[in-house]
Amino acid sequence: MTRVVLTIAAAALAAATAPRPGHATGPFDQRLGSDQQIVHALNRLTFGPRPGDVEEVRRVGLTKWMELQLHPEQITENPVLDERLKPLESLRLSLPDVVTKYTPEQNMGMMTMAQNPFDAINKLSQADRTKVMNGTAEERTAVLDAMEPEMRTRVLGALPPNVLAYTPKYKDEAEKARKAQQEERQAQNRARNLQLRDLLTADQLTDVRSGEKDKVLAVFAALDPDKRADVAGQLPPKSQAIVPEYRRTGQFRRAPRLVASEDLKEARVFRAVYSNRQLEEVLVDFWLNHFNVDSTKNIGMTANLGHLLIGSYERDAIRPHVLGHFKDLLLATAQHPAMLYYLDNWESVAPDSFEVGPYAPRRGTLNGVPNSILPNGLQRLAHGLNENYGREVMELHTLGVKGGYTQDDVIAVARCFTGWTVRSPENPQFVFAPFMHDYGEKTVLGHKIPAGGGQEDGLKALDILAHHPSTAKFISMELARHFVADDPPQALVERMALTFTKTDGDLRAVMETMLRSPEFFSEGAWAARMKSPLDMAAGTIRAMGGEVTDAWTLVQKISDMGETLYAKTEPTGYPDVTETWLGAAAITARMNFGAAIASGQVPGVEVDTSRWKGMDNAAIARALLGRQASKQTLDAIGTGLEGKDPSPAVIASLVLGSPDFERR
Amino acid sequence: MLTRRIFLRGSAIAMAGMGEAPMWLARAAAVEGTKRKTLVAIFMRGAADGLNIVVPFGDPRYRELRPILGLQAPRQGDDNDGNGPFGNVIDLDGTFGLNAGLRPLKALWDNKQLAIVEATGSPDPSRSHFDAQDYMESGTPGKTGNGWLNRALRDAGQDSSPLRAIALSNRVPRTLRGEHEAVALGNVRDFNISDQDRLAILKNMYSLTPDAPLRRTGKDAFEAMKMLQSIGKEPPANPEERAAVASGTVGPPRNNRPTYGAGGELGRNLQQLARLIKSDAGVEAAFAEVDGWDHHQNENGQLPNLLNQFSNAIAAFCQDLGDRMEDVVIVTMSEFGRTVEENGDGGTDHGHGSMMMVLGGAVQGGKVYGQWPGLAKEQLFEGRDLAVTTDFRTVLSELVRGHLGQQDLSSVFPGFNYGASLGLLRS
Repeated sequence: MTRVVLTIAAAALAAATAPRPGHATGPFDQRLGSDQQIVHALNRLTFGPRPGDVEEVRRVGLTKWMELQLHPEQITENPVLDERLKPLESLRLSLPDVVTKYTPEQNMGMMTMAQNPFDAINKLSQADRTKVMNGTAEERTAVLDAMEPEMRTRVLGALPPNVLAYTPKYKDEAEKARKAQQEERQAQNRARNLQLRDLLTADQLTDVRSGEKDKVLAVFAALDPDKRADVAGQLPPKSQAIVPEYRRTGQFRRAPRLVASEDLKEARVFRAVYSNRQLEEVLVDFWLNHFNVDSTKNIGMTANLGHLLIGSYERDAIRPHVLGHFKDLLLATAQHPAMLYYLDNWESVAPDSFEVGPYAPRRGTLNGVPNSILPNGLQRLAHGLNENYGREVMELHTLGVKGGYTQDDVIAVARCFTGWTVRSPENPQFVFAPFMHDYGEKTVLGHKIPAGGGQEDGLKALDILAHHPSTAKFISMELARHFVADDPPQALVERMALTFTKTDGDLRAVMETMLRSPEFFSEGAWAARMKSPLDMAAGTIRAMGGEVTDAWTLVQKISDMGETLYAKTEPTGYPDVTETWLGAAAITARMNFGAAIASGQVPGVEVDTSRWKGMDNAAIARALLGRQASKQTLDAIGTGLEGKDPSPAVIASLVLGSPDFERR
Repeated sequence: MLTRRIFLRGSAIAMAGMGEAPMWLARAAAVEGTKRKTLVAIFMRGAADGLNIVVPFGDPRYRELRPILGLQAPRQGDDNDGNGPFGNVIDLDGTFGLNAGLRPLKALWDNKQLAIVEATGSPDPSRSHFDAQDYMESGTPGKTGNGWLNRALRDAGQDSSPLRAIALSNRVPRTLRGEHEAVALGNVRDFNISDQDRLAILKNMYSLTPDAPLRRTGKDAFEAMKMLQSIGKEPPANPEERAAVASGTVGPPRNNRPTYGAGGELGRNLQQLARLIKSDAGVEAAFAEVDGWDHHQNENGQLPNLLNQFSNAIAAFCQDLGDRMEDVVIVTMSEFGRTVEENGDGGTDHGHGSMMMVLGGAVQGGKVYGQWPGLAKEQLFEGRDLAVTTDFRTVLSELVRGHLGQQDLSSVFPGFNYGASLGLLRS
């Protein structure tokens, strides 16, 4: 499901014309009380406060706690998280190892079909074949009469019904033959895909579908280890959630590449819920969206290649740099195979490269573009200069759409990056290919890059972009939007940009400027941001003090609310504003999510609402929201539940579905 | 004649039985003179074999290259009814004919509500299902992005129904992805708050919250939920249909009347869509898809049945809508066609050019459009496939502008120079 989306350009335009609270004496200069500040910090720097978090921060001291979050390496990680991540093996493998281990074997590809029914017909002579398929009834009957009975049965079983309608003599025999062939195919299928009823007794079948932990585990313990993955793959979600490792094994056998990205999606949920390094996780989420890559994009002829690359992209290109220097983050994403494939730079070539010799490509007009390199049969070869990365690296990653670059700059930057490519899908490593590179002179945003440079052209381009004044402003604006308000105060953005420039893009320093600002701890920022679906999922579980033993269903639910993890098609990522997550269907899914969690109906999630037994509506609401619920929400709950004796779970589900809980 | 304004107010009154009319319906009624038109895109996934669907039986090369797969030319007089979806080609204009499986569409052709565009497709040479589908759904051959049908919607601001873009599937397909909200109807069950008490309390909360965007969206959501619930409860109209839906049977139509029941999953989906359209839910763009066209083997054993389902669904839909077909246009497409020459397994392989069908009351039907390139070896694309002489975007552009009223075609199909229209719509 999609929701109303404002492109960044439109949002910027809207922001430019709407009244700006940051300039006037608005709520951004009204400071929050000290208790409010703690709740606010938890709401912004983490995925939501858990029971006891407010007290903990108060004990440690807010300033000290925030300082610690800015130095995640000093925080001991939650052992529960490590335990949850352990089965997700692909997270720990290097990119080459993931590619080796998680690529399907060749013979596993296509299912070998049951003997092709047309084989029989193909064995006939050309003349006979034409008579049988397209001749008159007499001709057909004559050919069939002359056949060996066994051959005739096979042929009859393969003939389409329209042909048989004109051959009354053999109609019945054909019916029998076709039925026999169908049964044979079904038997073969059953042998290949063992059904639950073939693997389990009737009692085991009931138990294993029950979703009850002890029963399910007992059945699996008694089962042949070889069969466990097959059984797991056929269970309903609530049972699968009890044996996630067997489900994973089954998936690994069927579609190993997809397991690599599935691991990452589940890890994201686990980390959001359990990590002690909450700010780091919030920042990884932010920067992955900023440097968006779609793991589901089709890359050349290799199905699902993006799924293999995305884990390394997050772990090796994004995570190490979220509190480091922006230019390092930029370079890491520019050289990662995931980005090189996603924004097509891997196939961007100088127009006159490798024209000489036996491997010179055929040229012609393709897609209306003259002098393009023509595809060779099924091979998709490069078409010339691809401007995609050249444009997006400026529009989306550094300067911003209004940052002051021109179309000439786009072409120049794209030319700088020619040759920045990937070795191969089987060996997806960054490599510089000199024969693809445009060695001419370029001018990028007024800076001349002399001719004859190779890989350094790209490095110089990145250097220019990282240090451009618009970049300092754009990055600061994006961070302020994410952590303060959809339309952040200009004064704050400017101070952050100044820090960015003075520290050569030190993101930790920029964060400090922002988090220590009066605007951050102001009424203008309080409860001003809309939760993303991931925020909603993790925030709800954290607010309930819940446990996640299996994240599979949560990933689906987050997708239902409108956020498909690692699969956003557009390089803009999700626009970081309220409207992105608003939509009739999306908001319904969000309202239903809270209720599902509160009533214990989400497989893999356990909550205990007894902690709120005896508390009144307002108290439960306060516990979940970290603040007083609005009058409208409390009135609606009070009126609606009048005369009833609702359980804490019911009250919780109403609070979790309220407009109050949508914000953070 | 029933003008739009009277009609809308009438529906609003009819809906008074279920509570107030939705806000967006009232807003729609207030917008004078705008007729809400609907464009339904049906995607045949898997590269449908255009040449055996609309058969160029008049071209001698057809039989030459398809000695076994070639369908028999139309028979004079005998309509070959008794053979169901199998049998001789149904003559359209002496050169082209319909696969017998498409018999339910013949009446629409005769009533000039079915037009066919031949030799259509994408300039992109890809023969990869995934790539070609992505390109066609994005409306940008060679590139993948948002959906053309989403971009085709005009900016309506607040005056638009939350159900204006509907996907008749479980997920919103690429064709409908974009700035305007699109709802996947496969999740009708999920687009609901089943606990009535909780529903009432949440509705109250959202109607009174000072958080304006949430208040607005909440209201739309609750109104859409109400509408979908009331539609979902309606049983099918006639007993024959009810029985067919209940038993889920597929088979030749009785008395040659098309039925949703014989239309498979597409039939069920189009039936839902028809209800929404008839209830003035404000649907402007709808998308449905049918899988299973990738006939690499035993094509003539499978294609007629698939076409029988396909045409029953569409014909039943047109019948169901009756006069309202004036405001509805259906367009079918497939990512590419199939090889002209048959392979050794009684099937065909991935090709290039194919055909598109356009149906509706406003369509200038009963005609085959486009320029037939011929099937001689030198006339074939890469010596093997039907060439493309009409870009699929030409067909879609005419419908987007002429039917939906979207004037800014360059944003719907960026990079495409829309030349002359084919004249598919009656002016």
